[in-house]
Amino acid sequence: MSQQVVAGTAGATAPAVLLRTAARRRADWRRRRLVLLLMSPWILGFSVFFGYPLVMSAYLSFNHYDLLSSPRWVGWANYHYLLRVDPQTWVAVRNTVWIICVAVPLQVLFAFGIAMLLARAKSGAGFFRTVFYLPALAPPVAATLGFVYILNPATGPLNTILGKLGIQGPLWFQSPHWSKPALVGLGLWGIGNTMVIFLAAVLDVPQHLYESAELDGAGPLQRLRWVTLPSVSPVILFAVVLGVIQGLQYFTQAYVAASIASGQASQAGDTLNALGYPEDSTLFYPVLLYQHGFNDFQMGYASSMAMLLLLVSFAVTLVIVLNSRKWVHQAVPR
Amino acid sequence: MLAVANHSLLIAAAIAFLAPFGFIVLTSLMTTNQALSAHLWPHPFRLRNFIDVFTTAPLWRWTLNTMLYSCLATIGVLVSSVPVAYALARLRWRGRDFAFLVVLIALMLPPQVSVVPLYVMWAKLHLVGTLWPLIIPNWLGDAFSIFLLRQFFLTIPEDYLDAARVDGCGELRILFTVVTRLAKPAIAAVALFSFLYTFNDFFLPLLYVGENSHNWVLSIGLAQFRSLHQVQWNLTMAATLLVMAPVIVLFFLAQRAFVEGVTLTGVKG
Amino acid sequence: MRKRTAAAVVLIAASLVAATAAARSVHSTAPKEVTAPTKLTVWAGWSAGHELKVFKAVVAEYDRKHPEVTINVVGGIDDNKIVAAIRSGTAPDVVSSFNSYNVGNYCGSGGWIDLAPLMKKDNIDASMFPSAPRYYTQYEGKRCALPLLADDYGLYYNKKLFKAAGITHPPKTLSELAADAKKLTVRDKSGNIKIAGFDPVVGFYENTPDRWIQAFGAKWLNAKGNSAIGSDPGWAKWAKWMKSLIDWYGYDKLVRFQAQPIDEFTPSQAFETGKLAMNFDGEWRVAFIHNEHPDLDYGTAPMPVDDAHPDLYGSGYINGTIIGIPRGVKHQDQAWALVKYLTTADHPLAVLSNGLRNVPTTQSSLNSKEIVPDAHFSTFLKIFAHPKSGTSPILASGQAYTNSVQRFFQQWQAGKVKDLNAGLKNLAKQLDAQVAQAKGGGGVP
Repeated sequence: MSQQVVAGTAGATAPAVLLRTAARRRADWRRRRLVLLLMSPWILGFSVFFGYPLVMSAYLSFNHYDLLSSPRWVGWANYHYLLRVDPQTWVAVRNTVWIICVAVPLQVLFAFGIAMLLARAKSGAGFFRTVFYLPALAPPVAATLGFVYILNPATGPLNTILGKLGIQGPLWFQSPHWSKPALVGLGLWGIGNTMVIFLAAVLDVPQHLYESAELDGAGPLQRLRWVTLPSVSPVILFAVVLGVIQGLQYFTQAYVAASIASGQASQAGDTLNALGYPEDSTLFYPVLLYQHGFNDFQMGYASSMAMLLLLVSFAVTLVIVLNSRKWVHQAVPR
Repeated sequence: MLAVANHSLLIAAAIAFLAPFGFIVLTSLMTTNQALSAHLWPHPFRLRNFIDVFTTAPLWRWTLNTMLYSCLATIGVLVSSVPVAYALARLRWRGRDFAFLVVLIALMLPPQVSVVPLYVMWAKLHLVGTLWPLIIPNWLGDAFSIFLLRQFFLTIPEDYLDAARVDGCGELRILFTVVTRLAKPAIAAVALFSFLYTFNDFFLPLLYVGENSHNWVLSIGLAQFRSLHQVQWNLTMAATLLVMAPVIVLFFLAQRAFVEGVTLTGVKG
Repeated sequence: MRKRTAAAVVLIAASLVAATAAARSVHSTAPKEVTAPTKLTVWAGWSAGHELKVFKAVVAEYDRKHPEVTINVVGGIDDNKIVAAIRSGTAPDVVSSFNSYNVGNYCGSGGWIDLAPLMKKDNIDASMFPSAPRYYTQYEGKRCALPLLADDYGLYYNKKLFKAAGITHPPKTLSELAADAKKLTVRDKSGNIKIAGFDPVVGFYENTPDRWIQAFGAKWLNAKGNSAIGSDPGWAKWAKWMKSLIDWYGYDKLVRFQAQPIDEFTPSQAFETGKLAMNFDGEWRVAFIHNEHPDLDYGTAPMPVDDAHPDLYGSGYINGTIIGIPRGVKHQDQAWALVKYLTTADHPLAVLSNGLRNVPTTQSSLNSKEIVPDAHFSTFLKIFAHPKSGTSPILASGQAYTNSVQRFFQQWQAGKVKDLNAGLKNLAKQLDAQVAQAKGGGGVP
């Protein structure tokens, strides 16, 4: 397109200029039409599946709505109940904050550590890489089910093995103190994706940087600190952002683990109190939102929860993105 | 010395990573009572479990539903995301950066934020209980795929496209012929990720088909399997293995595409 | 190359769409003839062992006698599914639920239709149902459900273990219960519980606050209709009794005991396998034991009561299955015909009672000659008829209030609540706020 314009400008006379402008306008219009055509799926998709729900969520959050009768305006009542009255709100917030603050650093460390081990491996790197990547392929529901079984306090393999070593294993998913650590363990098992990205980044670090550092007298730890870490800092940022986003949406594993574990311990049949089992320790914010919106009859109230979640997600990602330049070493062009 | 320590750590980690798989496989071969006890090794090996799973639960129907969802969604993602990514990467127009920012914002949004009004909308359209609320949004662009493809399209040298333009190709033809051919690894990665994501999806299927067991997908069926067959952990583990199997097989067949794709997200992302 | 891939993609897409269409047409209804029977779908909660089979058999009998309808029974339904189905407009023709907690929501919102006009047309008077089931199938005068067999709760005790411990009769008071439980408990070398005399943990099997509080005669609501949990002394008394027994066992030891594979609705249930000497359970357990462990030497008795209220002995908590018709149903007349049959005719109630060992919910069916007498089961019939037996209130907040109460006592039994009385008062305030919020308010009243 730019070529046509350039070709037209050379040696122009007045009527040619007019022709050129008209041609350019036609070209512009064609281009705009093309852009519209190409962008149309996203424009439609965004409006229907992001724009509309956001506006509607905001509206519903000021209403009492159970989808059986029409919405009834209640003003700030939902927010008041959410922030001041509901005893589960702050439990859910604390749990979500916990899982983000504990799981994300651990996952980044673990993925980076394994990647370093793999990068140094002389033989069988391909085999090991497959082994570490495989669990990440397991569907979350399947992986959670497997873990709940393995971590069964009475008959699960883990506690059986611990018993043979003379340790009485904890109650894992049956204990409010161990349920979240068990979930973190589950998350670490599925670290494959992040690990592969770290591996690629670590392998990408130019060898000459290490060599010059060594020449300067840097030991292995110093090489790690001053060469490796800065080079992989973009990946660290990526992993942290991804981890935080996932933490704010954490639902599936908590839901499945709680429902399986509570059924196992013979929860009184009819009351559906399973979510958050045991003792609300696995009650994360998205889980509570689901419970209020889709188990109880409170869609307006769930919308107010959603608005709060939106605010927090926005704030958190803003903080990370704005500070990314400070934390991430800009890659030196090669 | 360091190499030996490195290697032994690797082996220890590998054992820790493989152990859960091992336990799941062993349990899936046990009898019901054995699975309930603290035994670690099946005695005898009960391969029948894998057949019993199919008679105790409609695993085939769940698989069909999952395939329908995943395949249709993946095709939709490709069809709708490639043009958008191209427009964001290689065409210059006013508001392009803003549009890309919007894509980024959509990427960070937790699905729970939009779930209530969308559910209301689908309920009013009488589509709750079917797979359509899951499939249709994927035909209108997927933020992650758009992002990934756009990053990749940015790396295509303008020369290729200019050469095609000189030859008289319209922009659309350039897109469908030159660009898609050059971006095959990225497109393969996007297809793979979409398929995996929809295959593993639990939250949205729970919401939309949770109450209609006829349309359950594998993730829902597996989660409910235990509540329907409470005591039979051996069958549950067998079912778990069967659900994990297609993905792992897919991985071994398309290993390179997988790893390349994952690396792509991290490096270009 | 590109044309081929494009064609391939189109082909795949087309074949998938065709497959969907084909699949859907296979599942679609029979060809429309004028004489085709109306298809009705019935959702029921039963799923375990024999229970769904019994219900399906009774419905099949009705189906055979009524060729103008064909009925499909779907089991394993819970309230969440019912709510979801009603909201998405895909509800079946008849729904039933195991508990009455959500009746406030169902009736109040019109999710289940008002049955009063239908009952009037067929001259059915609500007084044919006993008082507790009559209460928990309506809300503020709107009757949107009918009772379909009731449950009541009592004490199951293992006679063999009793003999071995030298206990001659089942406990009548809670202090006797605690003493007997301690005598019957057997621990292993490491102090873990091998046989538990009694497990009072809230959330275990059928232990929920509403069932327990019957033993203390405590009230849920005061005269003004607000929560009495903070004011009625019975609640604190139960909490203290329950905690002292739990502390004797050691809370962690009980959790570990419960973590075994002793799932409630399976043959490995703890009482049926002799791991639990006494159990607080519903009347349906009689049928399970009959089907799964017929050699078990056991007895049934009313639940022990508060030492200060011996007059309550013989009573128990009543709740039960409810059945109704969701909003927007197309074949309301046939649906109502089925509901009427199941809930008011003696025969289906008697057959269901025999098979499920649930309590029939009409005065006449209670005396039906079809009921097979059973010594264990007759205890529960007596509990059902006891004048002091009661049920939990129907509130606008639906099952949310039971969840809140249960959650509080679960924290209490784990030792997380320091000040019981303050905690109970706070709980009462929360329950009131919950009701206000459910009604569309939002704050503390």
